[in-house]
Amino acid sequence: MNIALRFSLLLYFTSLITLLGCSSSELTETATNSTEADSVSSEDEETKEDMQFVLGDLIPEFNPPTKEELGNTEWTDKPVVDVYQLMTDRKENEVAMMTAGEAMAIRNNTPEDNDKIVSAMGALAVDGEIDYSAEWNRHTAADIRSTNPLMISSSAEFDVSGLMSAGLFSFDWNFTPYGNEGALVSWQTSADGLMDMVVMRDDLTWSDGEKITAYDVEFSYQVIMSSTVPIPAVRSGTDQLKGVKAYDEKTLVYFHFEPLATNVWNINFPIIPKHKYENTIADDPTLATSPAHVELDENPVSGGAYTILKRVRGQEIILKRRESYYMFDDQQVRQKPHFETVRFKIIENPNTALLSMKKGELEEMMLTPEQWQSQTIDDDFYKFNTKSYALEWVYYYFGWNFRSPFFKDKRVRQAMSYAFNHQELLEKHRFGMDEASTGIFHRTSPWAPETAPSTYQQDLSKAEDLLAEAGWDDTDGDGVLDNVVDLDANFDGESEGSRRIQFEFTILTSNRPDRIAICELLQENLDQIGIRCNVKPVEFTTLQATMLEHKFHAVFAGWGTGADPDTSENLWTTKAIDNGRNYGCYSNPEIDKLFEQGKRELDLASRRKIYQQIHLTLWEDQPYTWLYFRNAYYAFNKSLRGYNYSPRGPYNYGPGESTIFKSAKMQ
Amino acid sequence: MNKSPTTTETKKSPGFWRHAWLRFRRKKLSMCALIMVIFLSLVAIFSPMIAGTKPIVCKYKGRLYFPCMAYFNTNWENPIFQKDRFRKRYPKNLKQKDPESWAVWPLIFQDPYRPVRDSEWKDRPANPFNGGEPSRLNIFGTSKGKDVLAMMVHGTRIALLVGFVSTGIAATIGIVVGAISGYFGGWIDIIISRIIELVMCIPSIVLILALMAVIEKPTIWHMMAILGFTSWTGMARLTRGEFLKLKESEFVAAGRSIGAGPFRIMFRHILPNAMAPVMVPIVFGIAAAIKVEAGLSLLGFGAPPPNPSWGTILNAGMTNYTEWWQIVFPGIAIFITILAYNLIGEGLQEATDPRLADPKD
Repeated sequence: MNIALRFSLLLYFTSLITLLGCSSSELTETATNSTEADSVSSEDEETKEDMQFVLGDLIPEFNPPTKEELGNTEWTDKPVVDVYQLMTDRKENEVAMMTAGEAMAIRNNTPEDNDKIVSAMGALAVDGEIDYSAEWNRHTAADIRSTNPLMISSSAEFDVSGLMSAGLFSFDWNFTPYGNEGALVSWQTSADGLMDMVVMRDDLTWSDGEKITAYDVEFSYQVIMSSTVPIPAVRSGTDQLKGVKAYDEKTLVYFHFEPLATNVWNINFPIIPKHKYENTIADDPTLATSPAHVELDENPVSGGAYTILKRVRGQEIILKRRESYYMFDDQQVRQKPHFETVRFKIIENPNTALLSMKKGELEEMMLTPEQWQSQTIDDDFYKFNTKSYALEWVYYYFGWNFRSPFFKDKRVRQAMSYAFNHQELLEKHRFGMDEASTGIFHRTSPWAPETAPSTYQQDLSKAEDLLAEAGWDDTDGDGVLDNVVDLDANFDGESEGSRRIQFEFTILTSNRPDRIAICELLQENLDQIGIRCNVKPVEFTTLQATMLEHKFHAVFAGWGTGADPDTSENLWTTKAIDNGRNYGCYSNPEIDKLFEQGKRELDLASRRKIYQQIHLTLWEDQPYTWLYFRNAYYAFNKSLRGYNYSPRGPYNYGPGESTIFKSAKMQ
Repeated sequence: MNKSPTTTETKKSPGFWRHAWLRFRRKKLSMCALIMVIFLSLVAIFSPMIAGTKPIVCKYKGRLYFPCMAYFNTNWENPIFQKDRFRKRYPKNLKQKDPESWAVWPLIFQDPYRPVRDSEWKDRPANPFNGGEPSRLNIFGTSKGKDVLAMMVHGTRIALLVGFVSTGIAATIGIVVGAISGYFGGWIDIIISRIIELVMCIPSIVLILALMAVIEKPTIWHMMAILGFTSWTGMARLTRGEFLKLKESEFVAAGRSIGAGPFRIMFRHILPNAMAPVMVPIVFGIAAAIKVEAGLSLLGFGAPPPNPSWGTILNAGMTNYTEWWQIVFPGIAIFITILAYNLIGEGLQEATDPRLADPKD
């Protein structure tokens, strides 16, 4: 079972969604440049009303070569593998530190315990060990809005659609992209790097019995590239393609504008059944309102390992294993998915979720560090569960807005980093379990510089000196620093003249006690050196809207990692200010240039150098005060086995959740 | 208490309010509640002297300072205590930078806004950050390193202030609007009554949530103002009713006949007679405002951080139910305060209602 992994290009913005401000689950929100650009002015919307649906109207005009011309092209083979097998191979070289049974008996109190548990529980199933009739009760903090894979944007939707959709490509825990052996016969790239040709297997079927063909892929591409279809996330990346053409039922060619290192990611987008949508899409380009589409959303035609059995809004989503996924003509053609049913229980409040875990009603959930530290140490928890953690490349930061009058000067930003008590943050607020962040890439990432820059340590004197150098001084003797600076009250990038102002700013954060506490620590530190910092907790949607408009001075937030370093382009380049998620308006021509180079450099070693340079330049500029990498903390029921962590947590990679199983012996 | 003396001279009959007070004093529960509120007010006023890390008074480099006033307003802390790397940390810096200095310290050396760190005060250890149970140094435990008792002492200020200020605003608006509406009647009354109905439709909590998101630097004062501007309708209606009734009475006619202006009649003559029924909703209004503030803070939309409102402590406790002290102590404080105000309101209601008056009085 190779569960499709896609949308790898999207970075995710981690924050909370609940009003109560104590949700444990971090919503993975994927706002992308292309979708934002789609809904700019009201003028556009008016015309949209009258606009006719044109399938694929965003696709640039281009004449694809004939089949003969393709035959004359020089092709090189790309790897088509079974990622499950890759994991099996990896596990063969690892010796489990103890058996699962032994791991169940111990408690996770030290890093050594954790290593043992991670290693023991990561062991893959041996013959006859899997209980194929099992049900897996998973936790999700929010309901899904749609079952259509084109419409995904939240982490819950990623999780559900990951189990339900057919995927031609995948990537492993090192983020190496592969063709998915479960769906492809071959994958080739042309010598000039402008085309990717895949041959699909002919034993792929939708859950309604129709065949999954290359025409479905072509159609899906056209739908994604239709301006009247409101695609929230997956258009980004896909819009970098020049075209996609199906030559016959099995042969599919992707065309690129340029031979880029990121092309392998751009060809990875979700697939919907053409036969279900082609006749109805013109009447309802939203894919969500017409009766036919509502019906399809309720009972979607699945191309993946599972299909929807039942869905109770706000409560649960039950997925059922699909026999036609792994059986074809009475032959087993793919690995049998390990669970009979997968049930996503929607529980918003993390305390309630944890109580369900303790009762054995939930079998998996992500823990907050606080829950890890104090609420999962008792017999109640260990009766049914165990827990483990692993490094995840999700970093948290204080972001400084370059359009704010305070943070234009590099010395001020560095002073902020010196003023903050990093040690207390890591030891107290993060329980000494999370690692300090030394920039955009984690030190174990191939894109990080060989010697990571050294972390900032609190040094108030140095901060005071840097601020004085930058001209901040308490000239009116009121205890608050002041300086003559350029003002930009609207945060639109245009100066409104300069004036002497007090150093008093507001930092935004999402409304969660642990995050507010971290901002309060900054507030306390800055107060000591004569800077007034106000902490303003806001709701997640407000936070996002404010950041998008650049109307803030500082913010506390976090970023997850994409599979390719090029995804960071969306955060740091000048063009991403208006058209991406460069919320802090950082602009550095050198960085812009490096990202362009990084995209075009195909040699891995040279490409690595480019991103290392980006990492170091950003660290020097301190557009963020980088704080820490948040580990993935998970609780699992004792009956679950075979989970392994990647830098994106236990699920969002290949093979991810498809190796997880329930042991027949436990039942 | 009110036994008539044996003397034969005619006793001056007590006025209405004196009468009410005498009746109120006889209600034990209400009196306890009143004492409780007075006690809380004292705690609120003297909070920086009860718990804090800034001296109440100190002599530093030959001058007297009152750094603890910073807890009322950050601008009241002399900049001398921030400059020259003094950085607002008193105990060691005072002696180090001026050996001649002396200081009078608050009863409890704990800060409502931040954890006390290691060796900040002599060789006292740092506050425990996680799982800081009630102990000798932190009597009510800690909440993310901050002393819960210190937070609650300073939180009293917020709770009482919210109650008084927002109800004060509401009462002022309510009484004036209700008086005008009731006294003038006619189309003025019709318009004002419709406005009252309109304002009643505004859900104040939603309005607060929206405004707190819009305002660049929201403070507790914004919240009090919104609460005040949305909760005056009940008082306005009561005042209007009283005025409708009283404006027909003889003393008003008498006043008018000797040429008193409408505002003189309204506020000098009618209002004192109409106050009794209005006082009761004012007292209940205080309790309601405290409850709303605690509720908003519990949801995380109340007093902006790091204000140590009781609801904020509850909010911190909510994410970690094993740390019961963050729930129990502020919970009790909220309960007692609201109960006290409600008891006072009830006592007042009974004391000012002539129908409930003891005929012997």
